[in-house]
Amino acid sequence: MDSARRLGPAQIGVLAQLGVSTVLLGGIYALIAVGLTLIFGIMRVVNFAHGEFLMLGMYLAFWAFTAYSVDPWVMLFVSIPIFFVVGLVTYALVMRGVIHASHNVQIFTTVGLSTALQNVALVLWTGDFRIVRPWHSSVVIRFADTAFNLSQVVAFLIAVALTVALFAFMKWTHTGRVMRATAQDGDAATLMGIDTDRVYRLTFAIGIAAVGAAGVLVAPLYAVYPTAGLQFVLLAYVVVVLGGLGDMVGAMLGSLIVAAVEVIGSYLFGVAWKEVLYFVLFIAVLAFRPAGLFGQRGAETLGA
Amino acid sequence: MAAALRGRAGALAFFAVAAAVPLAVRDQFFLDTLILILLWGALSAAWNVAGGYAGQVSLGHSAFFGIGAYSAALLSARYGQSPWIGMLIGMVLSVGAGLIIGYLSNRLRGPYFALSTIAFSQVLLIVASRWRGFTAGSEGIPVPFRPGFATLGLGHVAWAYLALGLAALFYGIQVYLERSRVGYQLAGVREDEDAAEALGIPSRRLKVVAVTASAALTSVCGTLWAQYVGFVDPFYVFSVDLSIRFALNTIIGGMGTALGPWLGSILITALETYLRATFAGMKTGFAGIYLVIYGVALILVVRFVPEGLAGVGARLRARWTRAHA
Repeated sequence: MDSARRLGPAQIGVLAQLGVSTVLLGGIYALIAVGLTLIFGIMRVVNFAHGEFLMLGMYLAFWAFTAYSVDPWVMLFVSIPIFFVVGLVTYALVMRGVIHASHNVQIFTTVGLSTALQNVALVLWTGDFRIVRPWHSSVVIRFADTAFNLSQVVAFLIAVALTVALFAFMKWTHTGRVMRATAQDGDAATLMGIDTDRVYRLTFAIGIAAVGAAGVLVAPLYAVYPTAGLQFVLLAYVVVVLGGLGDMVGAMLGSLIVAAVEVIGSYLFGVAWKEVLYFVLFIAVLAFRPAGLFGQRGAETLGA
Repeated sequence: MAAALRGRAGALAFFAVAAAVPLAVRDQFFLDTLILILLWGALSAAWNVAGGYAGQVSLGHSAFFGIGAYSAALLSARYGQSPWIGMLIGMVLSVGAGLIIGYLSNRLRGPYFALSTIAFSQVLLIVASRWRGFTAGSEGIPVPFRPGFATLGLGHVAWAYLALGLAALFYGIQVYLERSRVGYQLAGVREDEDAAEALGIPSRRLKVVAVTASAALTSVCGTLWAQYVGFVDPFYVFSVDLSIRFALNTIIGGMGTALGPWLGSILITALETYLRATFAGMKTGFAGIYLVIYGVALILVVRFVPEGLAGVGARLRARWTRAHA
């Protein structure tokens, strides 16, 4: 324990490893959270079924790999259009009717969707833990004193690329501008001739496509099972609340904070207790800065 | 008296039947179903106090259920104490936890509040499943069976009447919430908090009281449930699924109605028992089919019949009265 206090080469190595782990993890969390925050920001709906779409993405990667030996990296490109369509269909069947309903109706609609999807997966594919092991998950990259497997590094790079692409889309395209306008003031947007129903449909589909793609990316890194989405989505809630619900830049910063808490927490206290840390952080943020670390005060008590 | 009973014929019939069944039926399977219907209904009624009457929708009520279950189980398994003492300790702890959650409910509305309650129950889940030295961790705790009322080692008939007494008590609490000044004030806060506040209703204090009372009632049910079932598994008693189930029964039966929680419980418990029995021999995952039905039912009910079964009943009765007036 004494030697750990002194800052030798070994300790710098540990710090570097922790730092890089944080960034790698944060990038993936950002992709999961960004869809959630997008849907909330524009539709004002907290999607409690968000984790289930991640789980479906993981199963898609698992079955493609097991049944047809398709690498998850290839599957990624297929998954984006698939989940975009899944998002459109879910919007039409489930979300469209409750978009103007009360919070409680919206909460229980997405909670019901979550329960149904989880158990459809349970019925179809049983509760067994499934593992996807493509060639790249056993390739280790060493850089200075740090070591990472290739799946993780590439998952991070793709996640960052997708998040940045989504960000650019929202910022610079006409559709993105229309979506942001609807988020700011739905009624005014309608008066300007914006078809808000179309905006909501597109928003939901994009959010689901992002989280589905994230599911495919994380499949080689974590076990796949029907409630696999829960742990990630709880984490995504922490991320988006930290960053301020609906705030995309906040979601990215929030991902890094949560990843840092997780990485450093598991190093100091062991893997078993890391979740307690970020839930306590979550409750503390909700209690003291409910609009997020960077958000405007008061957002949480508005019609939010 | 007549006024108090008006519109409560359904409830009277329900409790009368529930009281008569154990006299006539000795079949354990049937009695077990009755006990579960009454207990699930009582749990949903406890949720209803916060979610239905005060409008504070929690998705983390399993936290209080687990506190009640663990308090009694640990006390009787480790220290040989009566579960009734455990029930009291559980209530005290849940009141403390309820005050914390109630405080959050003052600052947060809608989905933010629901999220914070989920996080709260997850913290307790992690502590209960990882703190091996005290809670036995993820292995759970078997509750020792010692015959006698003081140790809650009862037969099925005694359990049925205990559950019935609890159900009647909780029903009474809800009726009080419908007819008393506090109840009307809560309804005001639920429908329009700002307007209620403007009328001088102490909305913040009322919400905290409602959430705390709901927590204490849930904890009592948690204790009884653990003693009845005989085993406490952290991944069950603190699960999000369990919290959803309290809400599901209430929503299907009718949020903010006194009999609603039991109407929902009859339907859901009967459905679960039937489907479990039907699919018991099939591959393990198939048992999940009833949860798929829950999920779809939840989506359909909040969309098309948000007032629940009790609301539909009231509507039909009103139509019938008008037609025959």
